[in-house]
Amino acid sequence: MASESKISVYSVPDLKNTTDDALPNYLSSLKFKQSHYFTDVRLILGYAAVIIGGALFYFDWTLGWDKTKQWTLPAVIIYFLLNGAFTYWIYMVEKGAIFAGERDGVKIVISTSFDKYIPIYNVTVRHTTPQNQWKEIKVKAPFTRWFTSDGRFVAKPFQQFLASEIPVIGKADPGNVVEEIGRGTDKATETTASSTSMNVKINDLAGVLNHLQERGTGKTPGKGKKRG
Amino acid sequence: MLGALGGMQPRQLAAQVLNFALVLSTAFMLWKGLSVIADSPSPIVVVLSGSMEPAFERGDLLFLWNRGLDTQIGEIVVYNVRGKDIPIVHRVVRRFGGGKTPLQLLTKGDNNAADDTELYAVGQSYLNRKEDVIGSVVGYVPMVGYVTILLSEYPWLKTAMLGLMGLTVVLQRE
Repeated sequence: MASESKISVYSVPDLKNTTDDALPNYLSSLKFKQSHYFTDVRLILGYAAVIIGGALFYFDWTLGWDKTKQWTLPAVIIYFLLNGAFTYWIYMVEKGAIFAGERDGVKIVISTSFDKYIPIYNVTVRHTTPQNQWKEIKVKAPFTRWFTSDGRFVAKPFQQFLASEIPVIGKADPGNVVEEIGRGTDKATETTASSTSMNVKINDLAGVLNHLQERGTGKTPGKGKKRG
Repeated sequence: MLGALGGMQPRQLAAQVLNFALVLSTAFMLWKGLSVIADSPSPIVVVLSGSMEPAFERGDLLFLWNRGLDTQIGEIVVYNVRGKDIPIVHRVVRRFGGGKTPLQLLTKGDNNAADDTELYAVGQSYLNRKEDVIGSVVGYVPMVGYVTILLSEYPWLKTAMLGLMGLTVVLQRE
């Protein structure tokens, strides 16, 4: 997974791209069969356009304007049609989809986005129900939940976020479904490092105090690993 | 820096390369589209010499139109000398023929003492409107073409610019 490399936590595109790269890995590990349909159609449209452009360039170079003249107009028209289809596909069909797949007959399409300079990961999940209808869920979470302050991606809290908030994924990975993401299970407290503070709710102060106390007295349920 | 490319999935790599290819091919196809509209192999040219001063100076960008072949005296045309591939921008000072016979033109630079007979290919003393001229000037933007003069006088700049463009498009993912 992408957890090996460090990124700049102040660059929201970096946060998103790293997370986007980790998401298909996680879902594939849950036996979601990934489909590359969206990407493949986009690549075919794009490369078809580029090939037409390249061919026109080649013949223009070798034969000159007078001989290629009659082919230039059709080539230009087809090129821009393909280019238009390519753009349409990206903005109207793909809509930022980073994963499409299937598991036990349930189809799932996940697209992600962020608003400029706002470090919150917006996830839109569309999936089929047993009645074969498409259902859409939108969830979001701050990137701090699964990035340490020095820019390392931590898989566990990210997987817990997905499994807990998205029922389809939760069903595939019950082990990662938690109530309070980030401090719900022992493993989570061990790995989330500085991110815990983001998930504390005001009305849950007593719980937080308890939690801190437990840690302070060394009753940490984890293995006592050094924290970053 | 290139390590970022090595770690990519094949499809991701293909998509990044595609981005770069689309930038180049779109620029080329826009140019070709303009060529078709203006019916000229080179609808935009840059003035390379001072022979048309004070009308045009080195580095001015000219827009050409090559439809309506009945060129009049006083029009400024761009032509290629046979056997050479350098476009020359000069004004028409004489015209012969036209109608059923092919229209022939004699040109002269406003800033030159003599007409262009010397410039034409050996044995040629006038231009054939249909074959030699690539368009009449219909508009111009001063100075902006100077970059291309620099690029053609220092060819390594071209390579450097193209390489830089390629790298930025391939490496950034925003």
